[in-house]
Amino acid sequence: MSVWNYVVTAHKPTNVTHSCVGNFTSPQELNLIVAKCTRIEISLLTQQGLQPMLDVPIYGRIATLELFRPHGETQDFLFISTERYKLCVLQWDAETSELITRAMGDVSDRIGRPTDNGQIGIIDPDCRLIGLHLYDGLFKVIPFDNRGQLKEAFNIRLEELQVLDIKFLYGCLKPTIVVLYQDNKDARHVKTYEVALKEKDFVEGPWSQNNLDNGADLLIPVPPPLCGVLIIGEETIVYCSANAFKAIPIKPSITKAYGRVDADGSRYLLGDHAGLLHLLVITHEKEKVTGLKIELLGETSIASTISYLDNAFVFIGSSYGDSQLIKLNLQPDAKGSFVEVLDTYVNLGPIVDFCVVDLERQGQGQVVTCSGAYKDGSLRIVRNGIGINEQASVELQGIKGMWSLRSSTDDPFDTFLVVSFISETRILAMNLEDVLEETEIDGFNSQVQTLFCHDVVYNQLVQVTSSSVRLVSSISRELWDEWSAPSGYSINVATANATQILLATGGGHLVYLEFGDGKLAEVKHAQLEYEISCLDINPIGENPNSSQLAAIGMWTDISVRIFSLPHLNLITKEQLGGEIIPRSISYLLCALGDGHLLNFQLNLSSGELTDRKKVSLGTQPITLRTFSSKNSTHVFAASDRPTVIYSSNKKLLYSNVNLKEVSHMCPFNSAAFPDSLAIAKEGELTIGTIDDIQKLHIRTIPLGEHARRICHQEQSRTFAICSLKTQSSADESEMHLIRLMDDQTFDFISTYPLDTFEYGCSILSCSFSDDTNVYYCVGTAYVLPEENEPTKGRILVFVVEDGKLQLIAEKETKGAVYSLNAFNGKLLAAINQKIQLYKWMLREDGTRELQSECGHHGHILALYVQTRGDFIVVGDLMKSISLLIYKHEEGAIEERARDYNANWMSAVEILDDDIYLGAENNFNLFTVRKNSEGTTDEERGRLEVVGEYHLGEFVNRFRHGSLVMRSPDSDYIFLEKLQSSLRKVIKGVGGLSHEQWRSFNNEKRTAEAKNFLDGDLIESFLDLSRGKMEEISKAVNVSVEELSKRVEELTRLH
Amino acid sequence: MWKEIGDREMGKIRPNSFSSQIKSNRISNLQLSNNKDIVSPHRGSINSLQVDLTEGRYLLSGASDASAAVYDIQRPTNYEGNGLIAKHKCLFSVDKQHGKGHKYAISSAIWYPVDTGLFVTGSYDHYIKVWDTNSTQVVMNFKMPGKVYRTVMSPLATSHMLIAAGTEDVQVRLCDIASGAFAHTLSGHRDGVMAVEWSTSSEWALITGGCDGAIRFWDIRRAGCFLVLDQSQSQLGWRPPVLARSAANKVSVSKSLSAGQNSLGKPRAPQKKYANGHGVKQSTIGRVPAKSSARQRLHPGMLSIQDRATAHYGAVTGLKVTDDGMYLLSAGSDSRIKLWDLESGYNTLVNFEMVRLQTSKAIQLAISQETAQVFVPCMTVVKAFDIWSGKMSLAFHGHYESVNCCWFSSQDQELYTGGNDRQILVWSPCEPITDDMDAGHTKDQDNWSD
Repeated sequence: MSVWNYVVTAHKPTNVTHSCVGNFTSPQELNLIVAKCTRIEISLLTQQGLQPMLDVPIYGRIATLELFRPHGETQDFLFISTERYKLCVLQWDAETSELITRAMGDVSDRIGRPTDNGQIGIIDPDCRLIGLHLYDGLFKVIPFDNRGQLKEAFNIRLEELQVLDIKFLYGCLKPTIVVLYQDNKDARHVKTYEVALKEKDFVEGPWSQNNLDNGADLLIPVPPPLCGVLIIGEETIVYCSANAFKAIPIKPSITKAYGRVDADGSRYLLGDHAGLLHLLVITHEKEKVTGLKIELLGETSIASTISYLDNAFVFIGSSYGDSQLIKLNLQPDAKGSFVEVLDTYVNLGPIVDFCVVDLERQGQGQVVTCSGAYKDGSLRIVRNGIGINEQASVELQGIKGMWSLRSSTDDPFDTFLVVSFISETRILAMNLEDVLEETEIDGFNSQVQTLFCHDVVYNQLVQVTSSSVRLVSSISRELWDEWSAPSGYSINVATANATQILLATGGGHLVYLEFGDGKLAEVKHAQLEYEISCLDINPIGENPNSSQLAAIGMWTDISVRIFSLPHLNLITKEQLGGEIIPRSISYLLCALGDGHLLNFQLNLSSGELTDRKKVSLGTQPITLRTFSSKNSTHVFAASDRPTVIYSSNKKLLYSNVNLKEVSHMCPFNSAAFPDSLAIAKEGELTIGTIDDIQKLHIRTIPLGEHARRICHQEQSRTFAICSLKTQSSADESEMHLIRLMDDQTFDFISTYPLDTFEYGCSILSCSFSDDTNVYYCVGTAYVLPEENEPTKGRILVFVVEDGKLQLIAEKETKGAVYSLNAFNGKLLAAINQKIQLYKWMLREDGTRELQSECGHHGHILALYVQTRGDFIVVGDLMKSISLLIYKHEEGAIEERARDYNANWMSAVEILDDDIYLGAENNFNLFTVRKNSEGTTDEERGRLEVVGEYHLGEFVNRFRHGSLVMRSPDSDYIFLEKLQSSLRKVIKGVGGLSHEQWRSFNNEKRTAEAKNFLDGDLIESFLDLSRGKMEEISKAVNVSVEELSKRVEELTRLH
Repeated sequence: MWKEIGDREMGKIRPNSFSSQIKSNRISNLQLSNNKDIVSPHRGSINSLQVDLTEGRYLLSGASDASAAVYDIQRPTNYEGNGLIAKHKCLFSVDKQHGKGHKYAISSAIWYPVDTGLFVTGSYDHYIKVWDTNSTQVVMNFKMPGKVYRTVMSPLATSHMLIAAGTEDVQVRLCDIASGAFAHTLSGHRDGVMAVEWSTSSEWALITGGCDGAIRFWDIRRAGCFLVLDQSQSQLGWRPPVLARSAANKVSVSKSLSAGQNSLGKPRAPQKKYANGHGVKQSTIGRVPAKSSARQRLHPGMLSIQDRATAHYGAVTGLKVTDDGMYLLSAGSDSRIKLWDLESGYNTLVNFEMVRLQTSKAIQLAISQETAQVFVPCMTVVKAFDIWSGKMSLAFHGHYESVNCCWFSSQDQELYTGGNDRQILVWSPCEPITDDMDAGHTKDQDNWSD
């Protein structure tokens, strides 16, 4: 197997780490900017809610995010610093809707030790300087000049060793910081310093305050006119300024995030570790602070960031649960909460464990994750593609077309479903009992195939058959008007919207009619040189009922043309090329008979077509149909591989639908089946709802407790999880449980409580030699408060009987059981420093027990273990990867080789016989190779590092598996070439370098990434403009079409 | 431990604070190792210990019997006591028998910082020798004017390969491996130089401690030394309160022009727009004690030669810069340990508890940055002090005679010490024994010196 690895993101980060609000995209627009680990998302506040504007990757883990407005600017700039000490200032370019880099730089220092508590990046409220605390004992200052440009940075020595927070004070003549710190004796104090820019030093500030709350952890600077600072502790909140000191006690809580409500700084929202949201009010008489008040508002997700938007709307960003958009009501609801959740944004993180299962047994994997933490803990089922939840189905053969119709123009729901066959048309309708039954519309001709149907203004319906257009009243269902095709010509294709109809007859005749009240009026007729293959006049633009443009596909010259309506003047003509015939057009999409889909950008005013792209969806002809779901319009492409096409972040995305083959589809939004689709497939008509439109579909199973380990047992069709439940009472006592869940309903069906202080550390479903049963094995540790390292644990063996967990055997261990693996019909456990192998023995009385067979010492802590055959790969707490082998004859485990680097491991996995993958503490991935052909003992005993890569995410678990059915083979050398060309063409946001970002980096060294490819970068090829694609095509010497095809194949990996 | 691992999994603690927490925890449990044993081949006192800086795998020791040896500290050579005690015998040693070896005691043995292909030894026989590790042959000889006390190479250097040597002579010499010749001599000390240390923040800055009690800072690209530490100069009143500041500022501004160019905070790569360069530089010098106006006319390097400030009463016997490059620890024959702020050159006045130090010999200190501890050989005991408070936190009793050197491996959280009793002892975090079968084995391995 190749040493190359292709790393691609299947689901973008969802953990909201930072957020801020300001006028970023224009002086009038209010934006919410959200940082999610390595991405930023910019959205606009509108009447309807948050409207996404831009979502871009940052080549770095975002450490700080701040909006600021330099003097003389009318809108805000965005300041970002990353954990690898890069910083950039970004500005919105309204013309291109992109970010431009105002400034960027590297702020790393050779001296100094990185702070333990994370970086602090703050901006003086008067925009005189940026302050950074990146290393212990140093405060870096980047001054602004008069024009708002950044000047050269300098460091000031900060004598306080354990800094907890630093903020700039408002309303000071000289820039002044307030520092919250802890001294040698663990007491906490605040101190102020003025920054003397000329002398490049601090001067003692106006005030200080000693001996604060021992849990004081957060400073909130208060803007003018009050000024001063709020110090948030675990038991008190203090307001402090040069001339005032006010304190109030609070219920013990750890405040995680705050958001300022008013510009004058008199009210603040505080979010604590239990997800409670409080309002803190500074009462004041004019500019004199008289006191503090705190009030509980209600419960949200556990907030990592709070941004007050406007008009009582608040964004709660969360790392432990779903992020939320909430509204603060003036009056409490029935439960006494002022918080109303308006919207939630899915967050998968933190994923502490997961398993890959094939619940539907279709050969397509699903991922079940242990997500969230504390009360926001949940299981999430992640699967690829969009599911159709079947509601009803009828057997119907030979469907040639389907349309849904309403009984009146104002009716919000569809009533009729017109199903067309080769020689007849049937009409189905919902009756009063909400049952679909066959009905009649008198005015429709049901003896022939229907070409098209649509709702028409003035309570009318239209049916197009090969001979005529029939306009029918939707109330009386009588025929009101009819337009017959000229004799000798039959209508081939037709399309309509609520006010217009366009049809094509043989001989290249194009006829445009408009609907009146009870009338059909022929407005325009045109003769084209070839036969017409398809038409579309779907309304786009302002008017939802009529269109100014018509798209027409032609036979013979295989072109698509855009005509203006109502005059039928040709605007654009685009040759599609090839021998394929355009079959169906929906505004800018053009489906071909061979399963390809072309898409163009259509300029609404001029009708021009630009940015042609071609993708392959399947091998059969595609029919396109628009439908809406959740207020946005999507396109359903029915073919042998049904796909939903949707646009997000200014690009078209394609999502598989989890159905085999669909011939026709139409939206059918009836009262009984709201928001449903009617789908014709394989001799069946199905009505069903569609999942949210996104590539990966996520189902949430809220647990209300924190699942830490999960595993699936196919035989009993159950999941078992190790979870911990935090008692709701204030004493924070925890209960650790083993839960058994049904793998279909996800209900708890059995629970085994662990002892006090006993934690579930590992879980495994396995069977042993000489025993047909399948067991769940659970490894635990007794975590005693006075012990550094657990010295006692248990291995519990359960069997599932009648849906219950039955304890069969237990074995005490001398340490925490960090990992369990099935190994040669035995059980391999990692217990503190040791790897221990247990046999499953039958006792004389017929019961069974675990008996230790052999072990291996010599690890600091053996945290992660994987096995393959007789080989054991161990990921150590701090000593990288070692390879052990089990010798059957001697019944012993011996070390075969190890990697001598000092990597602090967070996960390991075996890729193949020789190559092992590891993830370490500094967000890096690396691969090592077994060197069995080495000539010396030294060489054989060393695992050679073959690949290194900075992932930028903390990996908790690797699992083999796939979310899709097949994965293509790749030519890695070619891809590397493509990657390096892309690096040159795609500029990172803020001018950050991709090469540096992906370089392996830990405390000791930085090394260029090797043998890893960044799939996210490679796949962004498809989003490039044609010009840039050609640039790359030239660089790698492969045609754009070929490149697109190969990259698209890669996107199918996930 | 499980709790921390769980917190790291869910992102509650940051990975770097996870590792530093665990390291500190382990370091606070250091004790004589019950499962790791280094078998010393030396027949004289151990004077120098160093683990290589690239892999953290090979320990180099130098001893008074003119021998030096290398051990693999990651991979034991064999096991004893039921496979529980790992023995690390030396991979090779060179001694007087070696044709081109040293004749007298080796006082200093260090690795070439870039890889383990070379190592350097300095001896009382006036020679510094550079050895090829693989062939164990001497590849270069430097003849010094007197006994060599200490040799050091910069762990940061990318543009030079200089060995700085402190000898009986008053001059500090820089030996260039690239050319095989002396690059410079640094003059300023009035007596031999026992302690030499490169800066951990600039590859050009060298710190020397002489038997004259002075600690001098050199920028090897320029003449003269740019800073002499003065034990009477402390940071008290460093940052004046707001009201008093205008007066104080004037003084510091005028001073900052005096000794200009040299600093520890060297600007690095020019593309780094916000590198700290100038800032540090100027503020560093800004606090150098004021000189009289007459001296200011002299060349700044020459001026410092006349500076007779002392850091210790008596000889400076040991120097160690903290890994972050911000502080310097010094030990003197006055049995004092002092902590210096490198940026300002101030004596921080941290009061280290009274100790008794060897006076006649250079000692090798070690620092654990995670726990802010310094390991100091205090006669037969090695003591760990908290850098900020000066309080003793741990004492390592094990050697029978005076300890000369210690080396702390942050990667393994292990301390190696060598002394006049010819032993190299390993101090490692105590590991509870988890084996089912091995009870009773370990008792006799415990601290056997008490």
